[in-house]
Amino acid sequence: MRPKKTSTMFVGLVLLAALTALPVFDSWSMGSRVPTVGMQAEDFRLTDLAGKEQSLSQYRGKIVLLNFWATWCKPCTTEMPAMQASFDKLHDKGFVVIAVNELEDDARVREHIKQYGHTFTVLMDRDNKVANQFGVFGLPVSVFIDQEGRVQEYLKGGLLTEQKIEEVVARIQKKEPVKAAALQ
Amino acid sequence: MVGKRVILGFILSLALIVFSWPGAQTAQASCGAVTCFVVIGSQQQVPQAGLLTVNAIYNYTPMRLLGGTNGVIAAVDQADRTMILDHHQETRTITQQSTLDLNYGLTDRFGLQLTLPYMWRTHKHIDGLGEGGANGEGEAANFSANGIGDTRVGLKYNVLPTLRSMVVLGFGVYLPTGNTHAHDSAEKVMESPAQLGRGQVGLNPTIYQTYELIPHRLNQFASASYRHTFRNNDGYRFGDEYMLNAGLNLVAAPWLVLTGQINYRYLVHDNFSSSLYRSLTPADAGFPDDPALIDPTIKNRAVPNTGSTYYAFTPGFQVGLGQLIESSWTNMTSAYFFAQIPFERDSNNNLAQGTSYIFGLTRSFQVANPS
Repeated sequence: MRPKKTSTMFVGLVLLAALTALPVFDSWSMGSRVPTVGMQAEDFRLTDLAGKEQSLSQYRGKIVLLNFWATWCKPCTTEMPAMQASFDKLHDKGFVVIAVNELEDDARVREHIKQYGHTFTVLMDRDNKVANQFGVFGLPVSVFIDQEGRVQEYLKGGLLTEQKIEEVVARIQKKEPVKAAALQ
Repeated sequence: MVGKRVILGFILSLALIVFSWPGAQTAQASCGAVTCFVVIGSQQQVPQAGLLTVNAIYNYTPMRLLGGTNGVIAAVDQADRTMILDHHQETRTITQQSTLDLNYGLTDRFGLQLTLPYMWRTHKHIDGLGEGGANGEGEAANFSANGIGDTRVGLKYNVLPTLRSMVVLGFGVYLPTGNTHAHDSAEKVMESPAQLGRGQVGLNPTIYQTYELIPHRLNQFASASYRHTFRNNDGYRFGDEYMLNAGLNLVAAPWLVLTGQINYRYLVHDNFSSSLYRSLTPADAGFPDDPALIDPTIKNRAVPNTGSTYYAFTPGFQVGLGQLIESSWTNMTSAYFFAQIPFERDSNNNLAQGTSYIFGLTRSFQVANPS
């Protein structure tokens, strides 16, 4: 009843599809767990648009807004002006923004950053490793990290406004009790 | 039951394009019928927490005889629990189905799915070979029916959530909400294979996998599913169904995704517990006449001419309406179209699925805040 020739061809196609999907299994070992509020943010090393390597730990002592984004992600680009405005306003008070771009090429990202005049740090997560490390599987995601390197807030979706950023930064500066994670 | 059908039919009719079909029910129908099947990402994936994704899908599936086959098949009469060999000659079946498919993200990894089909089916064949007509050539008959099919409820779990990939395991249960006792014009119950519902619960495990080969440009997907339906109260059991699909999505423009996929379906023979007859042939004395009894009791017997193997290539495209036109009406909405083109079929001398068409709309609503 099964046409044998076609069956062989189809099995071949399925095998080919499975082979192309092999990289998926590289990711099986990754955590993909969202960090709990209060826990130490795991360190990472990524290069910026100038090709210089930067790590999260080098920002110890500052309040870090770690933002995962891509140029094609509309909610991401919508909240970036608020990030820039907050960065301009709070930079002198020990606040930094690290925008981690996901899986895009340098030229495109450079063009976008130049077009919108962003001056905060942009790092390139070319193999999606840092996103996996922080449990990111939808964009954008913003993680606020305190001066001691602990996660203080984790926000999914395009929820960042100047007011929101300043509110979280002020709370971290005051060292108020840790708020429950804004995640499920 | 009837009230529920009316309400669901009304909902579907509102949600989808309303199709009318003249219902001239004139004769007993025969043979099975299928609908086309493709991978529509928004159906297989797990939406983020609190997101409701609504798919309104219409598909058109014609079935005709393949070259070199004559369409002479066994008749199944579940009302009288009889199977008569070589009693019908098939001409065609056309099934149109409108489906309302609801996907809701319970969490970012757990999803709930509800699929409500509404079907229109017409069928033409020659009934009563060896029995009807002046020379036992049978009589042309046609049939049409419409109503709710079997509803599917499923749970899905995304076992590999990353930005580049997704592996979703699912388990669905088909509920016997479709009518199994539609009558023909002679007020006889139509055969099980032609009914809109299967009359018994079905189990449906699935797996779906997708990976971004070139992020946000080219992604690969594959899926597999199995469906087992238990024997219904008429003694009829639909054969198990195996499906494999694999394909690619290419983002040609921010608002346009081109798709190509290969689909495979293998249907095992249906089986029936009944009495077994055969149609008379000119070699029999008294031809044409009533069918001759072969065995008064058969149990769990495969129904000849059921079961099939089907391979298709399905090109299609999806238009992101929100990316094309910015408005509240088009936000998070897309439209898609597929043509499922068979390239290899074996249908056991029965009708085979021809080129089918699928049109759909998808819209997502954030009904609960994930925070």
